Amino acid sequence: MAGPEGQSDHVVFEQVGLAFGRRPVFSGLNLAFPRQKITVVMGESGAGKSTLLRMIGGLQRPDRGEVRVAGESLADLDETALGRVRRRLGMLFQNGALLDSMTVFENIALPLREHTEQSEEEIRRMVHQRLRDVGLGDVDDLLPGELSGGMLRRAAFARSIVMAPEILLCDEPFSGLDPPNVSRIEALIVHLNRNLGLTVIVSSHHMASSLRMADQLCLMRAGAAISGTPAGLASSQDSTIANFMGEDGVSYLAGLQDQPSAGDPS
Amino acid sequence: MKAVVGGLGRWVTESIAGLGEMTIFAGRIVRALWVPPARGALIRSALFDSGVLSLALVCASGLTVGFVLGLQLYNTLSRFGAEESLGTAVGLSLIRELGPVLTGLLVAGRAGSATTAEIGAMKATEQLDGLRMMAIDPVHFVVMPRAVALTLVMPLLSAVFVLCGIGGAYLIGVELLGLDSGSYLANLENAIQFREDVLQSLVKSLVFGLLLAWIATWRGFSCAPHAAGVSRATTSTVVTASVCILLADYALTALWAV
Amino acid sequence: MQESSGRDLAVGGFVLLGLAAIAYLSLQIGGVSLGHEGGLVLVARFDDIGGLTPRSPVRVAGVKVGRVEQIDLDEDLRAKVILDVDPGLGLSIDTAAAIRTAGLLGDQFIALEPGAEDAYLESGEEFMFTESAWNVDALVGALVHGDATGEDD
Repeated sequence: MAGPEGQSDHVVFEQVGLAFGRRPVFSGLNLAFPRQKITVVMGESGAGKSTLLRMIGGLQRPDRGEVRVAGESLADLDETALGRVRRRLGMLFQNGALLDSMTVFENIALPLREHTEQSEEEIRRMVHQRLRDVGLGDVDDLLPGELSGGMLRRAAFARSIVMAPEILLCDEPFSGLDPPNVSRIEALIVHLNRNLGLTVIVSSHHMASSLRMADQLCLMRAGAAISGTPAGLASSQDSTIANFMGEDGVSYLAGLQDQPSAGDPS
Repeated sequence: MKAVVGGLGRWVTESIAGLGEMTIFAGRIVRALWVPPARGALIRSALFDSGVLSLALVCASGLTVGFVLGLQLYNTLSRFGAEESLGTAVGLSLIRELGPVLTGLLVAGRAGSATTAEIGAMKATEQLDGLRMMAIDPVHFVVMPRAVALTLVMPLLSAVFVLCGIGGAYLIGVELLGLDSGSYLANLENAIQFREDVLQSLVKSLVFGLLLAWIATWRGFSCAPHAAGVSRATTSTVVTASVCILLADYALTALWAV
Repeated sequence: MQESSGRDLAVGGFVLLGLAAIAYLSLQIGGVSLGHEGGLVLVARFDDIGGLTPRSPVRVAGVKVGRVEQIDLDEDLRAKVILDVDPGLGLSIDTAAAIRTAGLLGDQFIALEPGAEDAYLESGEEFMFTESAWNVDALVGALVHGDATGEDD
């Protein structure tokens, strides 16, 4: 499904195969994630959505095939060289992955302290700026364990963008959140993409948000993927898509096609 | 029969592969020692967790072991009319064997298991992957400071344990059973030699510290990334480290005599 | 990191306590002497040192004043024992060194019996009079066989 690599593709999977023990996850997966677009990867649990994101970050190496990020093949890189690629990536983990022994402020300041020579003053300003971006106020001295789920996700979001990445990977950013937090995160992702030009790759099974913000959809099933624009997928006759999306999804896609600026369905 | 041999073969292969991975892991820790920054604050924090928090346990255990040694050895020695040698017997057994070994086992149970559980939990909640995504090496940031702390803490705690034990036996022997305080201490000081006894004690506890640091961090780092995996790894740390400490104790005692 | 100063203090205290414990074990109990130079080094030769070992105590009137530093065999095949003794004692040159046993089966030590001369022993000098260890076997033999003279040489 994925076309040959063009200038416009930021992340490319080529013939990627992976198995966990005897359970195959991917076999010959080809995918391309276009630059400066929001791609939403959808699929059932266990379809390999998280694994896909981990492979882009080099956390998981494929058994076969190649993953290229910004034109660089990850296969040839060791952990140090991967660090260079990872500095262009921001990753929002499903459960935040903030260090629970450090305060929220120290967590967000950590990449700045590690990789830049900025003064304490600049770091403070930068961290507070990011916290404001995600709508968090006075949380500097709290430990991650003291935050609510929604706040934790937003704090983790602030950390994933503090180094101004080119590509943002979000693993299930909406799972377990209440509607206000879902729309907040969604708005943040859209803002980063539209206004700052980040390439965003989101894994989610939150249908409504995913369909609203996706420039490209990537449906995963049994180790293979179908990708296309929401409109393109809606008009496709492929029965897999209908199976996967269900009645509601297809009609929703059809609705998007008619009326591109869909309002809040809930 | 075939299954048994096959199983044995697989066990041997896996053990060797595991040892190989552990060796590579140890190499990564050692290399991380020389990579700037030195992680002073993180090492201090790990020293607090494995050292300061183990201190009360080690002191109380040392004192208790001293009480028991005082009573038992006094009773035994008095059969030969050699109560005066209580200081010698207590000092030698504590400094050469009981101090390093019991401290090793106590710290393995207290701080070793905590280290495994902490690193394991960080792995299970993707904190280690989070660090890697920020281009920070988890071995440098998480493992190395804890390994350094566990290693350094052991000789310090062992020395405290020995002194508490000597003090405990003093309380029993001198204060309770009426031994002469001067003869207890003089016998103790005369019997203990630096090279033969104190140095052996320090070297032992340092080796135990290294073993525990290696095992505890590796178990945490390599555990299965879920709650059951973390708890299995924690148990495994205590068991493996205890057995290794006892084996190493025998080996070091035998080597020291050569 | 600001709130960690209390922790840092605890860690510093812990490390100091541990180092102090190691130092006490090594210096006081283990008997390592740091920069120990004032010691008076004396030589005593014996025919038989019995169970004397390095670090055995040296006593004057039962008071510990030093210790055995080293034990060698000299060219005449006698035991050459090097003692490290408190320099402030003022031991006269006719002081005698005897190997004694604490109790019947106790550890052996060197007892110094000061003489009457005005001149004092200097570092590196040798005792004029020494008394070897009592050989327990010979002693028991003497008691059993009623041979009160024991070994006479």
